[in-house]
Amino acid sequence: MIELDRLEMTPLLQCKNLVAGYRIKSGFVHAVDDVSFDLDRGGFLGIAGESGCGKSTLAYAIMRLLKDNATIESGSLLFKGADLAKLDEEQMKKIRWVDISMAFQSAMNALNPVLSVGEQLTDAIHAHEEATQSDARKRALEVLKLVDIPKDRFNSYPHQLSGGMKQRVMIAMALILNPELIIMDEPTTALDVVVQRTIIEKIQELRKTLGFSVIFITHDLSLLVEISDILAIMYAGKIVEYGASESLFNRPLHPYTKGLMNSFPSLTGMIKRMGGIEGKPPDLLKPPEGCRFHPRCPQAIPICRESCPSLEEIADRHSVACFLHKGAEIL
Amino acid sequence: MNENILVLEGVNKHFPVNSFRMHGKVVHAMDDVSFSLRRGEVLAIVGESGSGKTTTANVMARIYKQTSGRVTFEGREISKNMSREDELRYHKKVQMIFQDPFGALNPTRTVGRIMERPFVIHKIAGRRKAVEESIDKILIQVGLEPPEQFTRKFPHELSGGQRQRVNIARAFAVEPELILADEPTSMLDVSNRMSIMNMMLYLKESHSVSFIYITHDLSGARYMSDRIIVMYAGMIMEIGPAEKIINNSFHPYTRLLKSAAPSPEMGLKRKRLITGGDIPSLIDPPGGCRFHPRCPFVSDICSLEVPAMKKIDEGHYVRCIL
Repeated sequence: MIELDRLEMTPLLQCKNLVAGYRIKSGFVHAVDDVSFDLDRGGFLGIAGESGCGKSTLAYAIMRLLKDNATIESGSLLFKGADLAKLDEEQMKKIRWVDISMAFQSAMNALNPVLSVGEQLTDAIHAHEEATQSDARKRALEVLKLVDIPKDRFNSYPHQLSGGMKQRVMIAMALILNPELIIMDEPTTALDVVVQRTIIEKIQELRKTLGFSVIFITHDLSLLVEISDILAIMYAGKIVEYGASESLFNRPLHPYTKGLMNSFPSLTGMIKRMGGIEGKPPDLLKPPEGCRFHPRCPQAIPICRESCPSLEEIADRHSVACFLHKGAEIL
Repeated sequence: MNENILVLEGVNKHFPVNSFRMHGKVVHAMDDVSFSLRRGEVLAIVGESGSGKTTTANVMARIYKQTSGRVTFEGREISKNMSREDELRYHKKVQMIFQDPFGALNPTRTVGRIMERPFVIHKIAGRRKAVEESIDKILIQVGLEPPEQFTRKFPHELSGGQRQRVNIARAFAVEPELILADEPTSMLDVSNRMSIMNMMLYLKESHSVSFIYITHDLSGARYMSDRIIVMYAGMIMEIGPAEKIINNSFHPYTRLLKSAAPSPEMGLKRKRLITGGDIPSLIDPPGGCRFHPRCPFVSDICSLEVPAMKKIDEGHYVRCIL
């Protein structure tokens, strides 16, 4: 079955020119501005960027779980032939969690403190399909086993679990209806390195056996290049660089990507002075004219202040939105 | 450089458990912790949550009093009961930077008021004008320019990075001898981390202070420090010069930490050391080596007795029988 799906050449999710944001008293906040990407079946897309770059808004837009004051203004989200951006709530309910599920950032808050682990898992099954109590229980125990949670934790409450266990229960929740796409919004940020690593290995192992796709959102670029196939770097609502993670790591092109890469000291080799990126992301209510990164960019040239570069493919599966890589005819 | 500013000898910190079922039991947050910090040195303490690294900092800051063991600061033993004046004098010399830049600043005070407090408490520079000048100077050093713009602001008007800069400025304001920094960058955005780390290194040099840097990030520890202590479940597992800990790590736990840390430059698809399990309960810590239930190289003797610290190289000690 999985093999058959892989043969289909259309991507599982195609995001085209998506614009989404928040309507507030003083105007419209362009949190996601003209974002396009493709996600293959079984693929692993990593999205990196600082806080306030629109990563989470993008995730919630795909799930159609945006807050009341937020809307998808334009663009499309093609998922298995349906445009998620245009579905009504009833239709969306059939897709949400059944086909696309999500693991949230803080497992502490995302689990219901007054329901036991087992109750939460079976709840999700009953909400979406007709199932007997014992079938639901059986299925819940199966997914708990997948994430290495012992059987006797079925009746435990979230506060009785360690941080790493809670996060694994979150992943079990996301897996319970056997979805094709799981969106993970900083699922390991609050955890220690060792626990983080075991959870990542678990996700990768399950992805190989179950064949789902992952969109993984984090600001930890050093982790992301190790685990994802395709990387998208977001800055101020736009994708500024997009490509195979190996080529992005070996040859980062956008000054913002370079800055992010320069924000993690390494474990080996000479200790170099590292800089990070000065300043902070712009206010998305009034993004700067031209390239949104130019006020912080160490290599800005005059044209960067005037117009905004588009994302263009400059090598095989490697695109960048920067005037420095557009060739001489534009400069 | 060779003079020790702070020495811990066999320090234990046990917390009583307030539960009827476990009455009389204690949490072994720190067990037999001994190390010394040289003047002008940066010493990093690395470990998972629950390894006792924050407890160690809090004992050094005298937020907690140790259960037993000796703490010596500048050649004088720091007794459990100090007079109020001695306590104040100690706190002037030993300042702490906390993890949470949001919780560490009083939300109802302006940055100016927050910065004045240490001068008032420690009775430094009586004249208002002189205090203001010192505050401006330190704010400029931490990159909050122009200072008069920031002194009027409240903490909620600042970004996370700016708030942490205020915390750092406040710690350095009283010209301390020792700074205890408890995960100062873990709650900051990635782009800010390096500039905060660089700034702390610069201030350490210019104010000639000693530095304890607590983190769970091994590569950050390597960037900041001269020596590294690896802690696990309340005990020191390995201690040595930073480069030796990273390149010739001896203890299986140090190797595990190294293997788990993201480091794409070591190859994107490398083989890793994997272990399951969590840090053990510190109420009934495992007998013998505390790491043995998770250790991939465990043998029978590991569960029998706690291994002693063993010297394997100049200044490099490890608590492992292997």
